[in-house]
Amino acid sequence: MNAETTFKSVQDMDPDAREGLRRAILSLADGKRMMGIHYSDWLLGAPSIETGIAASSMAQDEWGHARLLYAMLKDFGMDPAVVEHERQASEYANPDALDQPLEDWAAVVAACVVVDGALSVALEGFSEGVYEPTRSRIPKMLAEEAFHDDLGTAWFRNLAGGSEEGRARLRDTVLSMLPSTLAWLMPGDEVGEAQAGSGLVPEGKVLHERFLERYGALLALVDVDLAAVEPDRDGWDSERGRGPGHPDDEAVARARGDLNRMLLVE
Amino acid sequence: MEEPLYDVFARKERGEPLRHVGYLNALDDEMARVYAWKTYDEERWFEMCVIPRSAIIPVNRTDGPFATRGGQS
Repeated sequence: MNAETTFKSVQDMDPDAREGLRRAILSLADGKRMMGIHYSDWLLGAPSIETGIAASSMAQDEWGHARLLYAMLKDFGMDPAVVEHERQASEYANPDALDQPLEDWAAVVAACVVVDGALSVALEGFSEGVYEPTRSRIPKMLAEEAFHDDLGTAWFRNLAGGSEEGRARLRDTVLSMLPSTLAWLMPGDEVGEAQAGSGLVPEGKVLHERFLERYGALLALVDVDLAAVEPDRDGWDSERGRGPGHPDDEAVARARGDLNRMLLVE
Repeated sequence: MEEPLYDVFARKERGEPLRHVGYLNALDDEMARVYAWKTYDEERWFEMCVIPRSAIIPVNRTDGPFATRGGQS
């Protein structure tokens, strides 16, 4: 990657690389929007008041990051308001593991480590790429994400060393989330390769290595061999850069803020 | 689940004294760091730290929250 030559606008980019970047920014934004929804579900019902407050704060972080990322799509000729408020669930490009609600605290911890972790590894890749808006705006997001990572890691260690039931739930959820999340992190399709080839992000294998380095030892605490987990690309949707499903309509209605918008008076 | 008590200290600017801004319960030091940052976020702190209540050694009082180690009276 030649980090000396940067792009201030996507208009100067090769069309294939531009499409890769558009897809990646939208997918990151949707991922953060859905991650925020899931954290917000645990404002009440978290293991302690402090944890609930942290979940609330992390939800706000994620929504703020999503808003910034959606705003970047203006450079692609897209209207961020339309992207945020008028898309159907089937158009959402978040990582597959965020399609369903996180049913218990072990699932929240697993998502915080596996999915929020993958989102941060992907963001970090952008901060090193040649597109200036991502290079300049992402470092603050990463600073906030460091606290999510610390909390996820601390809770993961705690659950991994706790009851058999908690440990088993954590392990099962991690194993269910990993294959699709790895596919999301390193798409390996033409769109993803065009993006990496233009220096917009590191190659998928580099991001994979970072993910392994960051979380391999942690996941081993619940006997998950991260290096042995294969990405699941069955039914890969190249348009969205993820698997074939989508989040449920109720979650997307919340993400769009449908109820709030019904109260707006023209 | 019994969670240890931590006290939170912070200062807004370099050179200001650290002041006690609150307390929290956390299972370990790492969680205490995050909870403190996420809970006491009403200011743009220059520096913040957390201290296990059990590490505070009372000096001159036999009453008050810090008088007994661990905050247990």
